[in-house]
Amino acid sequence: MTERNLIVLADVSKTYRNATLEVPALRGISLTIARGEYVAIMGPSGSGKSTLMHLLGCLDRPTSGSFTLDGIDVARLDDTELSKIRLRKLGFIFQGFNLLAHMDAVSNVELPLLYAGISKAQRTAAALERLREVGLAERVGHKPSELSGGQQQRVAIARALVNNPAILLADEPTGNLDSQTSIEILDLFSKLHSAGRTILLVTHDDEVARHASRIIRLRDGLVVADDKVEPLLADAQPSGASTRRMR
Amino acid sequence: MISVHVREALTVFRANRVRTALTTMSLAVGVATVIAIQTMGAGLSGAMGGVLGGLSDNSFIVVPNTQQSNFLRASLRVRDLAVMMRTLPNIAAAAPTGAISRLVEVDHHRLRLAITSDGDQRFFTTPIAVGRSFTADDVNAAAHVALLTSKTAQRLFADGPAVGRSIRIGVHRYVVIGVAAPAKTGMAPNVIVGDVTIPWSTYEREFIADGRIFAARFVVADTRLTAQTESAVLEALRIRKGERVEYRTFDRQGAARTIDGIYGAQTLVVGMIGALSLVVAGVGILNIMLVSVAERTREVGIRRAIGATRMQILAQFFTEALLLAAFGCAIGLVVGLGIGALVNTFALVLISGVSAPIPWLQAVVLAGAFATVLALLFGTFPAYCATRVDPIEALRHD
Repeated sequence: MTERNLIVLADVSKTYRNATLEVPALRGISLTIARGEYVAIMGPSGSGKSTLMHLLGCLDRPTSGSFTLDGIDVARLDDTELSKIRLRKLGFIFQGFNLLAHMDAVSNVELPLLYAGISKAQRTAAALERLREVGLAERVGHKPSELSGGQQQRVAIARALVNNPAILLADEPTGNLDSQTSIEILDLFSKLHSAGRTILLVTHDDEVARHASRIIRLRDGLVVADDKVEPLLADAQPSGASTRRMR
Repeated sequence: MISVHVREALTVFRANRVRTALTTMSLAVGVATVIAIQTMGAGLSGAMGGVLGGLSDNSFIVVPNTQQSNFLRASLRVRDLAVMMRTLPNIAAAAPTGAISRLVEVDHHRLRLAITSDGDQRFFTTPIAVGRSFTADDVNAAAHVALLTSKTAQRLFADGPAVGRSIRIGVHRYVVIGVAAPAKTGMAPNVIVGDVTIPWSTYEREFIADGRIFAARFVVADTRLTAQTESAVLEALRIRKGERVEYRTFDRQGAARTIDGIYGAQTLVVGMIGALSLVVAGVGILNIMLVSVAERTREVGIRRAIGATRMQILAQFFTEALLLAAFGCAIGLVVGLGIGALVNTFALVLISGVSAPIPWLQAVVLAGAFATVLALLFGTFPAYCATRVDPIEALRHD
């Protein structure tokens, strides 16, 4: 009885407190994301998209409201249980790649399996398979410093996929990449989406968001727009479009 | 999982070689000190048998104190011994002891040698290498038989075996019945180690004309009661001789206790210095681990985001501290054993003639305990700090 809805947020708010100040970052967000969707979350700085990303990534807990992920009420889980949810259900892709510098590509990809307690032989096999899937089969023994930005991001994507998560969470995944490499990475996302992956992508770049099948816009901690769109296939992107990228 | 933590820790050490080496070194010095002391201590107590020059376990000597006004009154007499034997418990034998210098003649060859006495229950434990020791019959009959030290045997009978030959002391001839093995260098009073040993009954008859003896030695039946027997003898002597006489006693256990006391105090002092340096080294571990955690905040954030639990992060950093401590202690163990073994072989053996075995197992257990305790004391806090890293904060700044 797998639920169709992977993520259900009901009236979620998040307020940051310090000694004197209460800063509301999210002010009552309700949304539902179904399996297989490719969602772009957009908004200017301070709109709350990072906070939303942290909540969806189970790195933080909402101040109020409920959050159900793959049928599990995660708003009330403790730290260890949240770690296990991150391990089993989520795959993170960051702007800065966030690979461990002293490990080669295959060890980086193995890392989540390590924490899941998988045996060495199985870890390596699965990691090599994922690296092949992202097109890096011949560079598995390289350290991050020996890889280009695009290649590093591919390693990070392989790492995010290796535990076969329910959701891929990508935070400005093309933010540190040149335009050609960005197109390649977005192409990879589109392929993963076609293969049935659920992808959540946070960006402030319209060109990036256009690859998604749904765009959610935030402003001042509220959802201001939620539109289904026809995803732009990376291959079909008009030439010159990437020059409009803000970074 | 553990093997992975170990491998990651090794990677970290390789990346920070100098830092790791310095931390390890400071730890190794402390551990080496403690292990070396322990090894030397074992060497010394093992060497005690040699240091005490082969005094048997079951006897003690009583000597009048030479610095007393009524020295003459205090002097021991042969008949005192008979009374002690009769009236006090736990005394198996009492015999005069002492040494006297006499000309010893073999063929036409004369040497001035020290003559001393012993019984069938031997006072000196130097084994007889050739021939036999005294029997009860020799003692009862005050037989004219003699034991020689190996050196004396060589001096008197350079041309052949000594046993069965005869020597002349004064008017009597003595048959050499045995030769002792080369003596270990000892600290037993030189005056009672003679070149020629004869039965004490013979010694008493031939050399103690006035019945006055230099010292008495008592053989106890039960060695556990040696101390009580000693005080009983002293008390009995005081009553027999009058109040103000003083005697000294000398026994193996007492001497061992004295040496143990001196060494114990030394061990305490040096051990404290060692322990202190271990604490200093531990703080070094603490410091370096805190630096390591601070430097790797981002790494911890990544690991946490990927799904590592706090316990897994704790285990990783704790393994690192444990390995650091283990390296230091292992090096300290080897160096400490080395120093201890060198001192034992080149210094203690010269004093005692006995080389004690190295206490391997004890040393390994001790070093292992140090490593564990240090890691627990000084590795836990940094590892705990690592678990408190907030992944959101850690990943925020590039």
